[in-house]
Amino acid sequence: MSDNILVTSLDEALKWGTGKSLWPFTFGLACCAIEMMSAMGSDYDWARFGSDIFRDSPRHSDLMIVSGTVTKKMAPRIRRLYDQMAFPKFVISMGACASAGGPYVRGYSVVDGVDQVVPVDVYVYGCPPRPEALIQALKMLQDRIVAGKVKH
Amino acid sequence: MIPVESESSTKNGMKVVYVAKENIFQYLKERKEEGFDTLLMISGVDYRDHLEVMYHLLSSSSGSRLIVKTKTNDEVDSVTSLWKGADWHERETWDLVGIKFKNHPNLKRILLAEGWNGHPLRKDYPMDKKQYVNLGDDGEDIVSYEKTEGY
Amino acid sequence: MEDRVIEINFGPQHPSTHGVLRIKVKLDGEIIVDAQPVIGYLHRNAEKLAEMGSYPKGMIYIDRLDYVAALNMELGYVLAVENLMDVQVPERAQWIRMLMVELNREASHLIWLGTHGLDMGMLTPFFYCFRERERILRIFDEITGSRLLYNYFAIGGVYSDITPKAIEMIKAWTDDFGSKLEEIQSILGKSYIYVSRTKGVGVLTAEDILSYGVTGPMQRASGIKRDVRKNSPYLYYDRINFDVPSRTEGDVYARFLVRIEEMRQSIRIVKQVLDKLPQGDFYNKKYSKPMLVRLKTTGESYVPTESPKGEFGIHLIGDGSSIPYRVRIRSPSFANLSSIPTMLKGYKIADLTAAVSSIDPVFGEVDR
Repeated sequence: MSDNILVTSLDEALKWGTGKSLWPFTFGLACCAIEMMSAMGSDYDWARFGSDIFRDSPRHSDLMIVSGTVTKKMAPRIRRLYDQMAFPKFVISMGACASAGGPYVRGYSVVDGVDQVVPVDVYVYGCPPRPEALIQALKMLQDRIVAGKVKH
Repeated sequence: MIPVESESSTKNGMKVVYVAKENIFQYLKERKEEGFDTLLMISGVDYRDHLEVMYHLLSSSSGSRLIVKTKTNDEVDSVTSLWKGADWHERETWDLVGIKFKNHPNLKRILLAEGWNGHPLRKDYPMDKKQYVNLGDDGEDIVSYEKTEGY
Repeated sequence: MEDRVIEINFGPQHPSTHGVLRIKVKLDGEIIVDAQPVIGYLHRNAEKLAEMGSYPKGMIYIDRLDYVAALNMELGYVLAVENLMDVQVPERAQWIRMLMVELNREASHLIWLGTHGLDMGMLTPFFYCFRERERILRIFDEITGSRLLYNYFAIGGVYSDITPKAIEMIKAWTDDFGSKLEEIQSILGKSYIYVSRTKGVGVLTAEDILSYGVTGPMQRASGIKRDVRKNSPYLYYDRINFDVPSRTEGDVYARFLVRIEEMRQSIRIVKQVLDKLPQGDFYNKKYSKPMLVRLKTTGESYVPTESPKGEFGIHLIGDGSSIPYRVRIRSPSFANLSSIPTMLKGYKIADLTAAVSSIDPVFGEVDR
């Protein structure tokens, strides 16, 4: 009998459930979006990690992957999309541009880092990061959610 | 026949002609009738003391190419009535280089937010003076120099 | 009747905008009365930044223009710089460039095919296309060490030689990609739903094409048979046999067929290049890396090349210093996208995604 009953608190179960069923938001900005598509494509197949359903509406999704350069014209729109997402919500900043402006940091119309627009949970380095790196970021985020280290 | 001010060529042998800015519309119209039916792009160059507009023409049947240039200080005639594609190219040239096009139907900024100060591809554009963009209630962009008012 | 027209916004975030396109659409019931694209959400100052560094430094911004076909972008830039500076390039390097560019054209068209399938409501082609694309990326990974943005072409050659292992990989790929392409084509082309949603949709006539300056597969699908590789050959395209596919219908289905046929032609080119690849240097030894940064030049040069989207060209103006005075980018997607108002007018709202995705816009290149 004891093999079939799992005793846990509701809080723990919720964290576990949130972490293992992240629904990402179909939101591609630039070059990194292509690597994001590769990660969801056949070879890397990140559905293995429980976040297979890319949702097209911010209302349905919990994970925003900012994949690419954030321009000044786009930044307020990103904020609006983030505000439209329902709690709990998480942000992965993918690549050098989204994290810190990347090669375009000297430009006149580029925001140096998406963390000036929305709060970021995990940063991924690389220009662009390989799909493996994005999957590592997803695993990191999941581990932190399950361990309760993410405040939302 | 519209006279050509001077003629030269690029390093790979493309013909470059300079035309006075008063005649540019008429000159391009003649070239279009001659067979240069594709306008590849319009671009602006800031030479500090004057501005230049470049028109890259291509004849889709013979494959010959022609670059037409004109010197100006502020504005030239629009060629949107000859090529519909000129619309966006002229808006971009206005946006980034700051050359006005007379008789353009909708000369607004295209790449930068409406209300942006200055034209970035000018050589004297202040790159250290940052501008910030935010959304207004009607969904249009608001540009300001204050960091607190935008991203 | 006026008040029946409603205005809706499509994008900048939408699964079938291929990036950050926004279209203001005016609708009368289901019929599109007017569609005005709004662009600039990915304006990354490529031209300004390229005018702020030395000639080889500009490469990283050019690389990121059309990020799904980065090598085609690099090629346009290196050809313009080499032309401006009279740099001689060894024969082997030119052949390697041709090989890489054609492989990248395949990768770019595969991305298009996959996402076009998604836009038409079919998930299967996406997975098939990405499986095939990963094979090409593995070849790139072997040769250049990078998957998406390579920075592989250098002024005076390429940065690294092709390894024997890479040649084996390319050979294996050419042998079997043809049949895979057949398979992918039949998923879409034999589907009644796909064909009826694309035939006669988003038609551009030859006059529209010329008026908007549309180039590339879109132009060839509307009956204007023009390809820079054929009409003004660069590299060694004049020593290679290939056909330029064209159709006359000018609709989405014709663009689909033209692109598929182009992929077949690219396989042919890759096979021929492998046969003709000579031995020798892969870069010009006169131009070492530290020296490249100090290269100075004057004059101007415009070199057109055929990118997967159309005619891509760089107009370079040098002023005698080691920094280019003006880098002007002729991006094909920009001109192709400006034809949207004509292309969508009078069609139904459901045709919008089909028509937009048939342009194959890449916003790094549209907004620069």
